[in-house]
Amino acid sequence: MKVTRFTIVTLLVVVAMMAAALPSLAQETLPRNETLYFNGQQWGAVVGWNPYSSSMNNAMAIAQGASARVTMFESPYLYNMLDGQVYPLLANGPFAWNDARTEITFSLNPAAHWNDGTPVTAEDVAYTWASHVKYNTPTGAGNVAYIEDIGAVDEMTVVVKAKLDENGAALNPLLVESYLSANYVAQKAWTQVMEERVGEDATAFLADIAEDVVFSGPYGPFFADESKVVLVRDDNYWGQDASMWGKLPAPKYLAHNIFADNAAGTTALKAGEVDVSQQFNSNVQDLWLEDGLAISTYLPEAPYQIGASLPTAFFNLTGSSVGLDNVAVRKAIAMAVDYPTIIANAMTNQSATFEQVPRSLMNPTAGEQALYNHEAVADLQWVGNDIEGAKALLDEAGVVDSDGDGWREVDGVNLHYVATCPNGWSDWQAAIEVVAAAGAQIGIDITTNYPEWSVYQTVVTKSDEPLPEGYDIFMMWSNGAGPTEPWGRIRNMLSSEWVGMTSNWSGNWGGYVNPEADALIQAIPTETDPDKVVELYTELVKMYLTDVPSFTLMYRPQSFHTVNESVWTNFPFDGDGTEPPVPPMDCTDGWGIACLYNLELVNP
Amino acid sequence: MKEYRNYFFKKLGWFAVTLVAAFILNFILPRLMPADPVAAIVARMAQGQTDATGVQAIYEQYIELFATDKPMVEQFVIYVQNVLRGDFGYSIAEYPRTVNDVIRSSIGWTIALQFPAIIVGWVLGNTLGALAAYLKGNFDRLLMPLSIFLSNIPAFGMAIIMLVIFAVELKWFPVSGGYGYDMIPNNSPEFVWSVIVHYQLPFWSIVLITIGGQAIGMRSMAIYELNADYVKYARFLGIKDRKIIQYVFRNAMLPQITGLALSIGTMVGGALFAEIIFSYPGIGTTLLTASLGGDYPLISASTLIITIMTLIAVFALEILYGFIDPRVKAAQAE
Repeated sequence: MKVTRFTIVTLLVVVAMMAAALPSLAQETLPRNETLYFNGQQWGAVVGWNPYSSSMNNAMAIAQGASARVTMFESPYLYNMLDGQVYPLLANGPFAWNDARTEITFSLNPAAHWNDGTPVTAEDVAYTWASHVKYNTPTGAGNVAYIEDIGAVDEMTVVVKAKLDENGAALNPLLVESYLSANYVAQKAWTQVMEERVGEDATAFLADIAEDVVFSGPYGPFFADESKVVLVRDDNYWGQDASMWGKLPAPKYLAHNIFADNAAGTTALKAGEVDVSQQFNSNVQDLWLEDGLAISTYLPEAPYQIGASLPTAFFNLTGSSVGLDNVAVRKAIAMAVDYPTIIANAMTNQSATFEQVPRSLMNPTAGEQALYNHEAVADLQWVGNDIEGAKALLDEAGVVDSDGDGWREVDGVNLHYVATCPNGWSDWQAAIEVVAAAGAQIGIDITTNYPEWSVYQTVVTKSDEPLPEGYDIFMMWSNGAGPTEPWGRIRNMLSSEWVGMTSNWSGNWGGYVNPEADALIQAIPTETDPDKVVELYTELVKMYLTDVPSFTLMYRPQSFHTVNESVWTNFPFDGDGTEPPVPPMDCTDGWGIACLYNLELVNP
Repeated sequence: MKEYRNYFFKKLGWFAVTLVAAFILNFILPRLMPADPVAAIVARMAQGQTDATGVQAIYEQYIELFATDKPMVEQFVIYVQNVLRGDFGYSIAEYPRTVNDVIRSSIGWTIALQFPAIIVGWVLGNTLGALAAYLKGNFDRLLMPLSIFLSNIPAFGMAIIMLVIFAVELKWFPVSGGYGYDMIPNNSPEFVWSVIVHYQLPFWSIVLITIGGQAIGMRSMAIYELNADYVKYARFLGIKDRKIIQYVFRNAMLPQITGLALSIGTMVGGALFAEIIFSYPGIGTTLLTASLGGDYPLISASTLIITIMTLIAVFALEILYGFIDPRVKAAQAE
């Protein structure tokens, strides 16, 4: 009896402790028929709402990039990964290069206004850029080498001037164009308020949590704590103007409960507590085939998702791995790997196979696949599991087991490598295990090691010195889809400009150096002849498949896009008839936000 | 009284020395990890960067902000000065959140989950253990294997079992979160009920495991005490069983109280598995991420809190022992 009383009292104390810590809010429950729930975007508590900073950990509201997340802040244009085109958002009609291709002009939609009711002007666009440069924000630091200035011609017209080379040509027109769809416009007046608040200090500017931020997008902050973040629709949103969407997005609330891991997220998806899942759900097809749930993916059959990036195993070419300077060794390892097993185990078939999409430097989208001559490189492509071919290649190159211990040698040294990726990245670890298994079949000893991410990233991104022991073969990512792709991806995978950086978050972590590849990479952004562009890309693919500085292990979607249609329906799917096609970008990114305007309730 | 004062100050001195040593170790050990935590911030800032100089500038900016380029002695002096002002600095992993903010926002959930679970598990476990020792027979035959079974289930296993049975299959309780997935925190009865319902599975997954261990310990101690000479002597004297049992359990309880104090002292470390399996808010997952990511300021602050709480708990216990058991005071005051 005492225990019971004690337990009750304890529980009451607990509830009182919790209740005392709670804020008083009028809104108690989010109406299910007005709320679209997400998972896989937000991990951990939101830090703030500053669109200039990339440290706000606010994935529902702030994610600039190739397909910028435009729920709260907006860019002039929206990128559509399905057709490779950009469509106006804050802009009014397409942008135009001048004849010399040194500057871009575009006008703003006169209907566009901020949530405080003031119009979005060219001054806002110009001041946003000036602030990026002044405070050395990630966007400023990343683009200042290619954009000379962004200015206001008049209240509604913006001119973007490219940095020019010695011949007066734009250094990189691709990157200048991509700025327009990858980066937000912030309000000048609000930016000045924040500047005053932080005393124009660069670090404080980026650390400001901007609770007073002004935004132009359809949603604004509603609630955020350790458990969730909720955005609420701005019913005065300018985009309901006929010149843009012509109506408001269907859900009043966008809510994201914070899950500890993918397993918890999948459980909530199955329970109908998540509508849009941007996370890896293992064996996703079981959700409808086995469990009979109203869950679907963009493609009804494997690979279920549209692949966009190329998770890749890099070889250490910095001189500290014996034998990896020999291209036969690299190619033999890559040929011997069992890719179907990687795709089946690591991705549970949510990746196209290399039979379906032969390896190159392109992702599986039709737009990128059309950018190289498939026949010209067919002889160089491999699909994996080619043990005999790999052995023959090694024998031919003189990489043989001369002392009979079972392991091949180069210059009398047994070939022993460590394949690695961060600990806990289970799909990558599964892939690395398959790479290691391939080594044993061709006489190359490959063991695995999984350091913690904090250590791994410190080592791999330090490109100003040779990689240490234990990083002979290591996994990293590649760019996904975007207006600068596949050029940006190829540059990151092959360009030697990253070699020597103290903190290299761009690519070519293995240290591949090929001046011919560098020259081709440099030539593409200024090339306007489509045939010539295909020729240049084909050459790069040939080099990549010949030199094998790294090898792609699978295709990975830009966003995992799995939807539960028990409350909302009419999500984008392959062949849904939308024009332009709405990409499977979780209803939040780039042109994918068009999804929010198409959604319908299952039970209105 | 003088004896007791000596005992008190001697203990206090030793705890002060321990605190200083722990404080220094809390600072040094995380910084010996072979990871560069500033790289984590640069990772967020620099992904997609196309200009090497820009990335380098960002890197140096944050190295300076966190002073990780300064000698460790200098870093320590700055750290001590800040801590004395109650300022633990910025969390590196969650920058620009401060360590104080990170801890403040999640520690309430952790204490509200852990403290009652530890107490309830301790009380139930010890009661059952004592009853098993006293009643023997079928009760003991049933309780012992059950306790061994429960205490050997790993914490994550118990959480998963409860999740699958009571949330996924039976749907009696929600699958995740600290409150309703469709709710906004407020003071309404519906919300309070939601908190209570979400509390149950994480709470009982901790309690059940605690019960097993406590019951086994208490049963062994109680059996030992029940067979002690003073119990037999008391029976010869004709003292009633009820009175004897009071003495027995008070003596058997002493080591259990030590365990309880340590559990309470370390509870702010979080109920990691309950938090992960049930996506329950709390500091455990934050600390795990901080440890893996080399977030020095957050690791140092939280380990310092754990250290201080443990020291306070043990100190209080030692002082209490001095009162409860005069032999302890007498032995240590010499």
